[in-house]
Amino acid sequence: MQRTRREILLFMGGGAAGAMLTPAPWRLVTDAAIWSENWPGIPRPARGEITARYTNCALCPAGCAVRARCVAGQPVSLAGVSGGPLSLGALCAFGLTGHHLPYHPKRLKQGTPEEAAAAVRGAMAKCGPSENIAVLDLAPGRSASWTYRRAMAAVANGVYLAPPLPLGGAAVNLAKARIVLSLGAPLLDGWGTPGNVHAARANFRLVQAEPWESRTAALADEWLPIRPGSEAALALALTDPKTAASAAQATGLTEKQIAGLANELRANGPALVLSADDLPEAMALNQALGAWGQTLAAGSEAPLPDVWKKAAPERVVASVADNSIRVLFIDESVPGSHIPWSAVEKKLVRDNPVVVAFAWSLEGYGRHAQFTLPTAVYPELTGDIPPAVDSPAATFRIAAPLVAPPAGMTDPSAFIAKATGIDPGNALQERADAIYKSGQGTLFTYADAKSTPLKDLKPADFWKSLNEGGAWIANAAVGQDAILRGDCQSPRGPIANRPAGCLPANLPHIGSLDTAFPLPVAFSEPQSASLTSPLMSKLYQDSDLRMPPNTAALHPDTARASGILGAARAVLETQYGRCAIGVIPDASVPPGMLAVAAGAEVLDICGALTRAKVVAA
Amino acid sequence: MIASNPAIQPNPAIQPNATIQPNTERQPSRERKRAVSRYGMSIDLDRCTGCGACMVACAVENNIPPAHEGATARKGITWIRVFKVDNGEEGPARRSVFVPVLCQQCGEDTPCVHVCPQQAVEVDPATGIVGQMPERCLGCRYCMAACPYHARFFNWWDPAWPAGMEKTLNPDVAPRMRGVVEKCNFCHGRWHAAKERAAAAGKPEIEAGAYVPACVESCPTGAIRFGDLKDSASEPAVAAKDAHSFRLLEKLGTEPKIYYRSKRDWVRQVAAAPKPPSGKENARG
Repeated sequence: MQRTRREILLFMGGGAAGAMLTPAPWRLVTDAAIWSENWPGIPRPARGEITARYTNCALCPAGCAVRARCVAGQPVSLAGVSGGPLSLGALCAFGLTGHHLPYHPKRLKQGTPEEAAAAVRGAMAKCGPSENIAVLDLAPGRSASWTYRRAMAAVANGVYLAPPLPLGGAAVNLAKARIVLSLGAPLLDGWGTPGNVHAARANFRLVQAEPWESRTAALADEWLPIRPGSEAALALALTDPKTAASAAQATGLTEKQIAGLANELRANGPALVLSADDLPEAMALNQALGAWGQTLAAGSEAPLPDVWKKAAPERVVASVADNSIRVLFIDESVPGSHIPWSAVEKKLVRDNPVVVAFAWSLEGYGRHAQFTLPTAVYPELTGDIPPAVDSPAATFRIAAPLVAPPAGMTDPSAFIAKATGIDPGNALQERADAIYKSGQGTLFTYADAKSTPLKDLKPADFWKSLNEGGAWIANAAVGQDAILRGDCQSPRGPIANRPAGCLPANLPHIGSLDTAFPLPVAFSEPQSASLTSPLMSKLYQDSDLRMPPNTAALHPDTARASGILGAARAVLETQYGRCAIGVIPDASVPPGMLAVAAGAEVLDICGALTRAKVVAA
Repeated sequence: MIASNPAIQPNPAIQPNATIQPNTERQPSRERKRAVSRYGMSIDLDRCTGCGACMVACAVENNIPPAHEGATARKGITWIRVFKVDNGEEGPARRSVFVPVLCQQCGEDTPCVHVCPQQAVEVDPATGIVGQMPERCLGCRYCMAACPYHARFFNWWDPAWPAGMEKTLNPDVAPRMRGVVEKCNFCHGRWHAAKERAAAAGKPEIEAGAYVPACVESCPTGAIRFGDLKDSASEPAVAAKDAHSFRLLEKLGTEPKIYYRSKRDWVRQVAAAPKPPSGKENARG
């Protein structure tokens, strides 16, 4: 039978039309949609057994307890541990994204440890009698810190350097406070242990004296908008009423307001005074209010092995003579306080100093060091957490690794110990043994939320539990200590009655800088030079909840006076140097000050009590 | 025809001329299914510090990628976003509050459901959760235009994570492709997981507290609480009756299931009126 062309076309058209009445094309569309969700450009989450593992966050001294949800051993989310005695189930935004850090695009993956070791050997060999070998430890108080101190004690002219400790090493007992005066301290925005602060918050009245309405000021019971840079004057007037008139002039408050606040602090105690820059005047006010032994105590550390006690003393950078450091090791493998690089640089000898930085990215001091050796990063690293500022009892917590570090990472303790010829041993286990021998305190294990007195445990169980997520807590707060006193040499203690040249980071008095740098700097975001998870861009790029690093917000009038009105970029200048910053005009920042979000570049030129100016880029 | 088949016999219980009555035994079970839960949330604005933990915890849980280099505060994806809102004053009189805004899980006349031409948005009768099915979505963004809360987000770019970071993705949630809309679904993956755990334990329903979204779990101040609004003891149900509670754009009649609470009068006034009496802008961020 002959088929005509018309019949064939009709058959094809009819077939196509008929197919539309069947489920086939619609199924094809659905399958294509599902396929497009899984095309190669879209990553597929890994599958595997789901388990929970526990550790402690090493991103700040709070050391919050962490429960990691792991898929085939890989952590896919982190959460606080409810019932945890120190962090009380809370974890901050940085801690929640800690498991992303090993995959940060700016992670340092390669170094030259052999070349660094050879350069260190050479420099140590030609180190003169007036020259020093130094370790700058940005997170003092760890077992690794004690290894550094032992190493520095083992070499001639060894110096162990640490940034000034918050509150000079004192510990705060917020649970006892009934009224807290905060002089710009970010009490509700990253200060101390977030869970502990928020749990105690219901029991104290919070007065925030600060020029602008920060996150803490927004939630304070009372916000006192004082003039920028007048925190010290207010603290002084509250200690000594005779200065109330001048303080009123400086702060913009009335004398009646100041007198009322002074009365409130004395009548409604126990009181506590905190300040953003650890002002000596604030600690003197604490002393006058009788805070010592109540809301403040000397910070205490977990017991140490006896053999560790032969260690170099802690010193601040400013206490070292200029141009005297021949070899400098900088440990920034865990985030810690930052000292402006220019303050460190002037301590180095002029001819070929050797600076070795241990870091997981090149964002910090690694930019200035001859050798930057890559290290493990949380949650890869193994180490203990330094004491938290709001934990009056001594604690010992280990950040146990959740993932294995990649090959080629350097252990700073082992490197420094080898360079100085000491045996680092297993510092963590030695410390745990010393704690066990002390026989006091309890161990809290996260997996079962159980507290066990140390005397009921065997040493092996204690060590195992610490590594599987636990915290040792001493029995009682050290409490009734004498007021901490020190000298300008030490990062601990020298707060009350500190002489002028002994201010934090050894900064000069504000008055001398008024003219050249008219704008006081307030840090609007938690200070850290360390990188954060790429997901934190949700907070400053996908939204404008927070300011991005290396950015300053200022009042439009200030911007106009500085000649940068309408500019998106400008240059920030301080006594330490200059760097480019982003500019955000914000009418909520009072005229005459800068609210700065710290990044590595800004922290290079900004320390405590910094004043600055902004100029056009 | 059927009766001629010996394998298939008429049910003797059914009389030939009887009218078919509704199945009275099945009806309660269907009712029960519809009435199982009505999940909601309460947010205490007097406790929110604007730390952003909820935003990043949400992104971790739901496989939302880091910001694309072209992303802005308008084009970024933040299923829950914390806004800073002030009273419109300047200087010492200024007062601010942080307001987390997420899909309000409208209970009535859900605007996004009405406008979706693809039936990609549905209200789950078992939970009351407004769900979004990206595989049905054609990217018309009608729902984004219809949503009065700006709680829906469009994938302008294919999701991308830095090399290696895709290992940290949550296996319970599929990443969405470019060209589709997405939004908060109260961490539906967690609901499924809780349901499975309950089933494995032989329990018919999820127990209170066994299912909480990531933002609730992560909030360090406990400002965000979650629960079944049908359970009068749950915190959102209690908050719903609080004199200091309010819902966003309540006058639209969409019956949101997110209750905000603040003891500060000006906060409630700002939420009720688009502008404060001074006439100045009140919303920043």
